[in-house]
Amino acid sequence: MTVTSMKGTAGQIVSSILVTALLVGSLVAVLEIEDQRALGICVAIIAGLSFLAPKLGILRGAEQAGAHHPWAVRLIILIGFCSLVLILKDNNFALLMIATILIYATVCLGITIQTGYAGLFNFAGAAFLGTGGYTAAMLANATWLPDIVTILLGGVIAAALGTVLILPVLRTRGHYAALTTLAFGVLFNGFLEANEMLGGPQGLKVPGIQIFGWDFSNDLVIGSLSFSFYANYVLLIGAIFALFMIFTRFIERSWIGIWLDAVRLDEIAVSVFGLRISVWKSFAFTAGNFLAGVMGAVYAKMTEFIAPANFTFGDSLLLVAIVLLGGIGNRWGVLVATMIVILLPEKLQFIQEYRLLLFACIIILLLMVRPAGLLARRVRVFEERH
Amino acid sequence: MSSIAQYLLNGLMQGTIYGLVAIGFTIFFGVMNVIKFSHGDVLTFGAFGGLVAAWAATALGFPIWLELVFVVLISVMASAAIGAIIARGLVLPLKDAPPLNMLLMTMMVGTAIRECIRLFFPNGTNPQRFPELLPSGGFDLSGVYFRYDGLILIAAGIAFIFAVQWIINRTRLGLAIRAVAEDGETARTMGINFTLTVAIAFAIGSMTAGVAGALYGLYYSEINYSMGLILAIIGFSAAIIGGLGNIWGAIVGGYLFAGLQTAVVALLPALSDYKNVIALIVVVALIAWRPTGLLAERGSERV
Amino acid sequence: MSAGSKNESPLIASGLSVKFGGLLALNELSIEVRRGEVLGLIGPNGSGKTTFFNVISGIYAASAGQVLLDGRDITTLRPHQIAAHGLARTFQRSRLCLSLSVFDNLMLGAVRRLNSGLWYNLVRRDRLAADVRSAAKEARDLLAIFNPDLAGKLWQPAISLGMIDRRRLEICRALIGRPKIVLLDEPSAGMTHDETNQLMNEILEVRRNLGNLTVVMVEHEMGLIERATDRCVVLNYGKKICEGKYADVAADPLVREAYLGKS
Ligand SMILES: Nc1ncnc2c1ncn2[C@@H]1O[C@H](COP(=O)(O)OP(=O)(O)OP(=O)(O)O)[C@@H](O)[C@H]1O
Ligand SMILES: [Mg+2]
Repeated sequence: MTVTSMKGTAGQIVSSILVTALLVGSLVAVLEIEDQRALGICVAIIAGLSFLAPKLGILRGAEQAGAHHPWAVRLIILIGFCSLVLILKDNNFALLMIATILIYATVCLGITIQTGYAGLFNFAGAAFLGTGGYTAAMLANATWLPDIVTILLGGVIAAALGTVLILPVLRTRGHYAALTTLAFGVLFNGFLEANEMLGGPQGLKVPGIQIFGWDFSNDLVIGSLSFSFYANYVLLIGAIFALFMIFTRFIERSWIGIWLDAVRLDEIAVSVFGLRISVWKSFAFTAGNFLAGVMGAVYAKMTEFIAPANFTFGDSLLLVAIVLLGGIGNRWGVLVATMIVILLPEKLQFIQEYRLLLFACIIILLLMVRPAGLLARRVRVFEERH
Repeated sequence: MSSIAQYLLNGLMQGTIYGLVAIGFTIFFGVMNVIKFSHGDVLTFGAFGGLVAAWAATALGFPIWLELVFVVLISVMASAAIGAIIARGLVLPLKDAPPLNMLLMTMMVGTAIRECIRLFFPNGTNPQRFPELLPSGGFDLSGVYFRYDGLILIAAGIAFIFAVQWIINRTRLGLAIRAVAEDGETARTMGINFTLTVAIAFAIGSMTAGVAGALYGLYYSEINYSMGLILAIIGFSAAIIGGLGNIWGAIVGGYLFAGLQTAVVALLPALSDYKNVIALIVVVALIAWRPTGLLAERGSERV
Repeated sequence: MSAGSKNESPLIASGLSVKFGGLLALNELSIEVRRGEVLGLIGPNGSGKTTFFNVISGIYAASAGQVLLDGRDITTLRPHQIAAHGLARTFQRSRLCLSLSVFDNLMLGAVRRLNSGLWYNLVRRDRLAADVRSAAKEARDLLAIFNPDLAGKLWQPAISLGMIDRRRLEICRALIGRPKIVLLDEPSAGMTHDETNQLMNEILEVRRNLGNLTVVMVEHEMGLIERATDRCVVLNYGKKICEGKYADVAADPLVREAYLGKS
């Protein structure tokens, strides 16, 4: 019996459980298996299952579950996430990878708001991430500042910097805004390396997070269970990611979501009806960079060290590639694509060196044959009771 | 006095290179309304092609003047060929896609070229020595030292700029290109082979990158896999200052950018590490002030 | 005189000129639109009708002249500011957001009425949902006047609509913001004679429902102009060559010459 034969709520809930299980299972398998050949087989099986899932109607079912029973789905995801952390509890590397995926996925959510909704190019995602990180590093001496404030400031500074960058060219149309983010993305590195105050090429040390006496650098102990200290960060980052996922969804399903889409699709028509294009462009750009900056600060505190080499133009390009691969404007696509783009090169070592080339080629191919990406964005339908 | 002239010469050299790159952007934008961001990496590709040609020429024992001709020729041909291939195979199929897709496409193509050079060129991660093929030395004119190679390269670059200008404005081929740029549909109904014309226009635009790449290698005697990235950004901004679609504007933009950089180095030596940053800030301010470029007349999109 | 008094002309353009390079698309054009009338704007291709609309709605800047909307000078205002004074329009070449739903497209016309506040949109989701429901009802009612089928397609992407329904949607989008004056640029472009007739009936019906809205309409089909308009202005080479009731205008030798190209 396939899930498609189950109608209504039960089928939808089962579908979302299956999809969550598939994601969690794939993550655990890929992260735990060390042998390269076994890993290759495992990746092939996951690819096969992912190919089958839409055929069985599971994806559609999960999607509908998300629309009709959002809180049930959120609960299922929460359970999935907790079991993931539980299974990987003392695997430092695996937890670091999960954290990295969630950090990149958050930056890509920001780019989704900017590019996917408002149609603004951002080729400096890694630079805005770095801005948040360096903000946290610069505030390291201000020990009186609670870490939550430091993290928020990372977001605020990145957002403010982005707004200053783009404001002058907001009134111009088309590609000029792309130029400023491009230039920022490319020059960010060199700027940091030349700047002694920011540690030059060697970078800066950053203290870990402490919130209300909860020291994130110590192992996490819950009852009789002991977790790697990375579990602290995974939980925090997971919470922030969840918050921003909901934020992004609320933006999309609101009047603002319509305004942003319209700004992307037809500036002229929309201004004639009274929409202030530049206001919504700066809103989208600022909001997106805020997400990147917040995660940048958390990232710096998690790795306790940042250097210019972490925020290159290549990384910014990877971020854009993730958004396109996942399906422009699709939040869940972003998460899936981030897993692929981050994990694959990290685990299949022979890819590592070639990853930028590989993803560049994948994007070229995608643009030719399937520009909508892996999970295409759906037309917005405001929920209606029937 | 002499240092001022030195700065001037250096700035002229850089401005010529930037102007050449900017012309390419202008041609692509004029013909297909695209920002072809792989342009900088096409430049790198041409320069590396020239390097290989130099190695081959040395192995074959060519005299030095022939080696020089050979290097420049191969640089130009390599760029033109890859430019035409990109246009035909990757840009044209996307001509009705949203602008983001097009920009991403050319950006990823550029990344692929850059990464291929880094990964597959022997010792590609490190900078490569480019042979010195021009007469060394120079002459002294009232305290100012003029390097022969600099003068020759600037002259060659400017001559090539005029050649491109002549092709676009004075030949039948140029007429076809301008017709396609004006209105692709109408040009087609007039019997112009649209696909071929676009490919040729992209080849010509990419030749400017080949020339710029060769000039760069011959002047600085060193090339590396990522040099095209920053040159693309500079060339792109120069083209924008010039009004995108106006060849003379692009050249003015190129020299202006070089002038800004030189001014920073000459007047604020402490900030010379940031000369690109400062020059770009000025460019963004210029764009904000005159969004359609310095030379272009204000046009309006048809509604 | 107070702005917007009852009997004042809602739209007065005086001495408008627009240049594109060497071309004078509008040449010292003066047009006065009276409250509650349907004004037909006619003229051969390229005579400047669309350009006139573009200047009024703030997309092109006039090189000379002045536009008064309800007594306010809007000559140098930007499109979104002009919209705030109660002007709406359609476009000659359809400008829908094709990948968005019919509902989304309609709501663009209602931008000024809907709450764009962050707190409301992100936190007060209950109020937002209620407003979406009432907006959807209003949208259905409006669409149903044009075509009951269209009302049932509220959540489909606009790209799935046929040509005529797209036109109807564009007109509804201009009307849903309850403007004081609307400019319709060839609403029937690309339709057959019967379709055009039907569409015009629908437009006139909606106009009555909206309390005799002021309309300026560009239209090539003369039969329609005769039936639907109270008055006509004829343009040629960016100049007004004639003005008056359709019957008078049609009899004018200058107009005949402009259309037949008599030398
Ligand atoms: N953005 C523009 N740039 C340059 N020229 C323009 C522009 N818009 C219009 N024109 C020119 O201005 C003149 C008037 O054009 P307009 O579109 O206003 O004519 P129209 O009366 O609407 O014609 P039609 O009946 O064909 O729609 C034409 O010669 C046209 O080519
Ligand atoms: Mg018209």
